[in-house]
Amino acid sequence: MPVITAREITKRYGSRIGVDRIRLDVPEGTIFGFLGPNGAGKTTLIRLMLGFLRPTEGRASIFGLDCWKQSHLIKREVGYVPGDMRLYPWLTVRRALRIAQGVRRDDMIRRGFALADRFHLDTDLIVRKMSRGMRQKLGLILALAHEPKLLVLDEPTSGLDPLMQESLGSLLRERAAQGCTVFFSSHTLSEVEQLCDRVAIVRAGRIVSDEALDDLRQRARRELVIRFATAGDAQRIEPPAFFRLISREGDRWTGELDGEAGRLGQWMSGLPIRDFTIGLPDLNTIFRAHYQGQEGTE
Amino acid sequence: MMRGIFRKIIREVWVGTLLFGIAFLLIEILLNLVLPQLLDQMGDMLDSLPFVRDFLGALLGVEVEGEITAQLMQAFVWVHPVVLALLWAQEIFFCTRFPVGEIDRGTIDVLLGLPVSRRKVYLCETIGWLTSGLIILSFGALGCMIGSRGMDVETRPEFRFILLVMLNLLCVYIAVGGVAYLVSSLCDRRNRAVSIVFGLVLASFLINFLAQFWEPAEPIAFLSVLDYYQPAQVLKAGALPMGDIAVLLVLGTVSWIIGGEIIARRNICTT
Repeated sequence: MPVITAREITKRYGSRIGVDRIRLDVPEGTIFGFLGPNGAGKTTLIRLMLGFLRPTEGRASIFGLDCWKQSHLIKREVGYVPGDMRLYPWLTVRRALRIAQGVRRDDMIRRGFALADRFHLDTDLIVRKMSRGMRQKLGLILALAHEPKLLVLDEPTSGLDPLMQESLGSLLRERAAQGCTVFFSSHTLSEVEQLCDRVAIVRAGRIVSDEALDDLRQRARRELVIRFATAGDAQRIEPPAFFRLISREGDRWTGELDGEAGRLGQWMSGLPIRDFTIGLPDLNTIFRAHYQGQEGTE
Repeated sequence: MMRGIFRKIIREVWVGTLLFGIAFLLIEILLNLVLPQLLDQMGDMLDSLPFVRDFLGALLGVEVEGEITAQLMQAFVWVHPVVLALLWAQEIFFCTRFPVGEIDRGTIDVLLGLPVSRRKVYLCETIGWLTSGLIILSFGALGCMIGSRGMDVETRPEFRFILLVMLNLLCVYIAVGGVAYLVSSLCDRRNRAVSIVFGLVLASFLINFLAQFWEPAEPIAFLSVLDYYQPAQVLKAGALPMGDIAVLLVLGTVSWIIGGEIIARRNICTT
């Protein structure tokens, strides 16, 4: 059973559309990337999921509970880090954990202190004196300390230095391995690519792609350079349908390969080829392709 | 579950409540200390400056005829503009913290990220607000008792009477706070909510004041919360004006309930 389910969920702000008929299933135990540029509707969907916004149409549920009507019950098992982490200026890690423990009735202080130690955050430093990255760490501690079954992270790495981003990544992988589902919103493809099992791409409030990252990799183009035995061979031979030829210079072809490399091997056997190099799957191309459509329509 | 929310509320408001309480205590002590001298000079003042009678009547909400009694002057310490300003400032500060203050500074995402319903947070905030009101009014009553120690025994107000005036003032506090919560639930910017509530209480004060000596304002005097706050009558009759109390409580409660329903159903956007 999916942890998060959205069915035709729509949010309109007057004439402006926040999200449009989104249909989504997030399986249990996955790190689910929710990718899109700023203003695409990522935060709107998260706010609908957490009961901050009431859907105009459709419904979303988490653990089978309605996100609007039962949001306070859902949040027992959810840790949330908002995109723009704003905290009470008088808060410290210690005070924040005491308050959260008073609401959650869970042993949050011990676990929270362990997380603060892992994130190298002083437990008595007040928010007023914290940098943006430190505030982000405090938000993460509050989201993680009760060991939730679902983590909803809205661009959680903003403000974190690369080392801390890595540390967060490994922590999320640990949690996912223990069965926690992670809903990870980001506008940065590389971090989603490194971390997530599955990714949905959102554009202008609609999901334009939702698939496992491995499937996406298989579909992604790769750069391919082929060197033929002679320049004449390179001029004579016609490229196959799955290869987009960009340039033909001397004995060399440069182009892009669609999909998996297996059929390339079949095509090359028997041809006078001296050498070839093939690049890693370029998800960026897919990502861009989805957004080029947006530029054309808006 | 509410313990954590109360912990947060106390952390945020205890200093403010204490400061407002001390200010209220000092004002009441001061007003009660100067009251006997004021009473002595009042006769001469009324002869030389007859409009003072109108001003006093406007403040007290009664016709001031003949000699000014100690009892009437005692009511003055409970309607003094500084007293009302202090009380209203404290409750505008308190009642606009949630939800509008939290939305405005973006902290509501963290607050409602906890497994607590909006109604429950609203209830906790309300309990905190009423408690802080009671604390501040108690400081005021204490100040009145301390300040009136210098008075003659005959003119010194009885504790029972102070309590009755305090109850009437508490009802004003509830009415204004209920409206403040309603405004707070409708706004996204705290300064806007504060301005609206401040405008409403100022208008309320002016309408009540003007209605005493400006005929066109009389028909709309019922719109002012101060029309239902009658310390002079309370001190004279030794009983609460139940009709006025009912109006204030209904206004406060209905506004508070509507505010709560709006909070529970509204969209919360922090950007």
